Amino acid sequence: MVASYFLSDPSVLLSDLVFGLLLGCVLAVVAHGLNMIWGVVKVVNIAHGEFIMLGAYGAYFLNLYWGIGPLASAVFDAAIGFLVGYAFYYVFLHRELRGKETVSLQSEMVTLVATFGLSLVISTLALIIFSGNVVGIDYDPGTLLLGPVSVPLGGLYVAVVSILIISGTYLFLERTFIGAAIRAYSQDVTATELIGANPAKVASLATALGFAITMAGGALLTVFISVGINPLMGTLYAPISFVIVVMGGPGKMWGSLAGGLTLGIVFDVLQAVATPQIAFATGFLLLIPVLILRPEGILK
Amino acid sequence: MKGRTPFTLYGLLAVMAALAAVASFSGVATTVLLVNLLVFAALAYSINFITGMTGYVSFGHVVFMAIGSYSLAVLVSTYSTSPFEGIALGALLGGLFALGIGAVTLRFRGVYFAIASLVLALAGYNLVLQFPQFGPGGELIFYIPFQPLTVFFAIWGIVVAEIVLTFFVNRGKVGLGIRAIKDEEDAAAAAGVNPMKLKLYVYMLSGLFAGAAGAVFAWSTFGVNASSAFDLTFSLQMLAMILIGGMGTSTGPLLGASIVYLLYYELLTYPRLQGGQFLVVGAAVIVIALFVPDGIVGIIRRKYPSLKPVIE
Amino acid sequence: MPAVEVSNLSKSFGGVQALRGVSLSLGESEVLGLIGPNGSGKSTLLNVIAGVQKPTSGTVKLGGRAISGMRPDAIVKLGVAKTYQIPKPFASMSVRENVAVAALYGRRLRSVGPALEEADRTLAIVGMGDRSDLAAGSLTAQEKKRLELAKAIATGAKVLLLDEVFAGLSSEELRDSIALFRKMHEELRFSALVVEHVMRAVLNVSEGVVVLEEGRVIAAGSPDQIVHDERVVQAYLGSKGVGT
Repeated sequence: MVASYFLSDPSVLLSDLVFGLLLGCVLAVVAHGLNMIWGVVKVVNIAHGEFIMLGAYGAYFLNLYWGIGPLASAVFDAAIGFLVGYAFYYVFLHRELRGKETVSLQSEMVTLVATFGLSLVISTLALIIFSGNVVGIDYDPGTLLLGPVSVPLGGLYVAVVSILIISGTYLFLERTFIGAAIRAYSQDVTATELIGANPAKVASLATALGFAITMAGGALLTVFISVGINPLMGTLYAPISFVIVVMGGPGKMWGSLAGGLTLGIVFDVLQAVATPQIAFATGFLLLIPVLILRPEGILK
Repeated sequence: MKGRTPFTLYGLLAVMAALAAVASFSGVATTVLLVNLLVFAALAYSINFITGMTGYVSFGHVVFMAIGSYSLAVLVSTYSTSPFEGIALGALLGGLFALGIGAVTLRFRGVYFAIASLVLALAGYNLVLQFPQFGPGGELIFYIPFQPLTVFFAIWGIVVAEIVLTFFVNRGKVGLGIRAIKDEEDAAAAAGVNPMKLKLYVYMLSGLFAGAAGAVFAWSTFGVNASSAFDLTFSLQMLAMILIGGMGTSTGPLLGASIVYLLYYELLTYPRLQGGQFLVVGAAVIVIALFVPDGIVGIIRRKYPSLKPVIE
Repeated sequence: MPAVEVSNLSKSFGGVQALRGVSLSLGESEVLGLIGPNGSGKSTLLNVIAGVQKPTSGTVKLGGRAISGMRPDAIVKLGVAKTYQIPKPFASMSVRENVAVAALYGRRLRSVGPALEEADRTLAIVGMGDRSDLAAGSLTAQEKKRLELAKAIATGAKVLLLDEVFAGLSSEELRDSIALFRKMHEELRFSALVVEHVMRAVLNVSEGVVVLEEGRVIAAGSPDQIVHDERVVQAYLGSKGVGT
């Protein structure tokens, strides 16, 4: 089966590869907000997937009532996500992080469990309010034919926006004063004070940015999964995001893209040559060898 | 610490004896309720061994439960053995898998362990779906006589074993080493503790008992299917129970399991409140994790220090 | 036979050479001071001996037996214990339980009871008997340092690797600590490698001093020789000379 796939028409193979790369880009942006928070604040939001889901519903309702396309909705989602991120920081993280130089294992456990609870609360509320029905956005800008390879234009737009967002955050962190403060915080909390910034303000800003990107990512995702918006979609995209961030390395902005593209291609190729189950299982299990073989900052 | 009368153990065993009496002398409905309650208590004690004692959050703990469920379902449905052999196999495989998985994942600290356990559960779910032997949707159903009291005493025995083990592990050499690991793993190694060995030991216990409990769960529901066997909300419920009751303690899991189970499955199941139980438990987990991370036992410990010998 | 024999030990982190072929030998019951500027490799040397880090090359022998590459807990059980420069107490446990962990596992005791008794003895030796029921997390910084020492001793180690146990003390506290250290050494006859910045402490407790610079031993000798060694004065003590 595998051999026959690779011996088949090369244009099919190329189209699949292109699709895998586009999928990788959207997965990258979906994981990118988590990367930001994990890398800077050193806390993992287990409810990450639920905020992706909320972003997707945001795009759905903006489209349903005002006919706004998913790309434009991403901007609205980002604005909401920014505010939600601040609230999240002060409710869930501030008490645990305030005045501490490093995140203790105890705090890590508290935030893991609390955000696990949050994911249950949000997805249950979503089930009650949105109902369990799967919805989608009717948005299809068509297909671009590059010789024998067909490229879905929607996916291409999302990939471009995704790369713009990732490079934007990279430049923001590298080139601006606030970005420098965020980088200082991520390496050494006390260093933030040395360059004259308030650690809580820096951490909350990074969290807010992470949420803005996460919810925008949810909107962008709707282009790809045209009929897959449902209250429980977070349970798939959260673990995908975890794997991507670990693969790329928390806090490395381009890591999201590296991890996303790897996973996108693994999913896409394995689905073609094997089954979706094998593809998902392999994609998730990739995390283990990455954790073992790339132990810098991971094992200790 | 030494030579103290084990009031806590006596108290817990008295509660268990009372439950056995109630189950023996009341109707089937009560027995079934108690079976379910004790399945949850057994799961709570099982995750308590790893997450409660060491602080390693096992989000994917449901894997061991699923291993137990499938062990029993396969043995009973395919090989027509007695459910007890299914429980034994579930416990054995649960323990073995925990050793194998733990040898790799217990090297990862904190959030990395938690996420590794989570992705293993998701991978396990997808792999079960891949095997046609487990039926479409990984569903296995079997027909055996309905014997609620037998099921009750199976799970009762498991919980009693867990209580006794938890109590003596906490009091003994292993418990002291484990607490050191929970506080400062590197410093524990510098004091001569072999962290990997102790973590593997308690993880093995936790896999073993989750396997046994999962087997009884399949027995009590006459089957298993992949989406409920690997349902991650079970992991959350287990965490919620030990968090609410008190992590690592021998009283906490039973206390937490009773509260969560009764809230979840009994009090909040009226049609009007449907779905509400998830909200209540989720919100309780958030509040307790953020404000009282040592749970009810922790509150009692602080407010009424004189009760310490009774609750620990 | 020396208690600890370090031969040609090297350790690099990525591209950085922290240790470049360090050799030294620590005699039975000898106290050796280890000094050098920041980043000279002192802490790395202790970590490699204790098994916290694996050497890139070279060997560490304990009573003639190679221990390099072994796990830290195995090395503790063979009789080498290290303190942390920044104390790492088991914060939620009592002081007594902290020390009991070290006694229980370091000495391979069978049960908790004897470990607690050993902890009480050790706490009396280090003068913390009155602190034993406090939560270790609530101790002052100085008490935490002393608890580190108590844990190291409680493991039954014959070789102690002490990372700046005298740092940050007031003049009087330092005097008391030095006196305490000498008393303990007379009683327990351990060997010790003492990393220290406080020169008064080094010169007062150690019989010999080894000077590290950029991962190399640049001088070794009696405290008296060392303070008059030109290279040492240049490399480490600078123009300020030996004071305090």
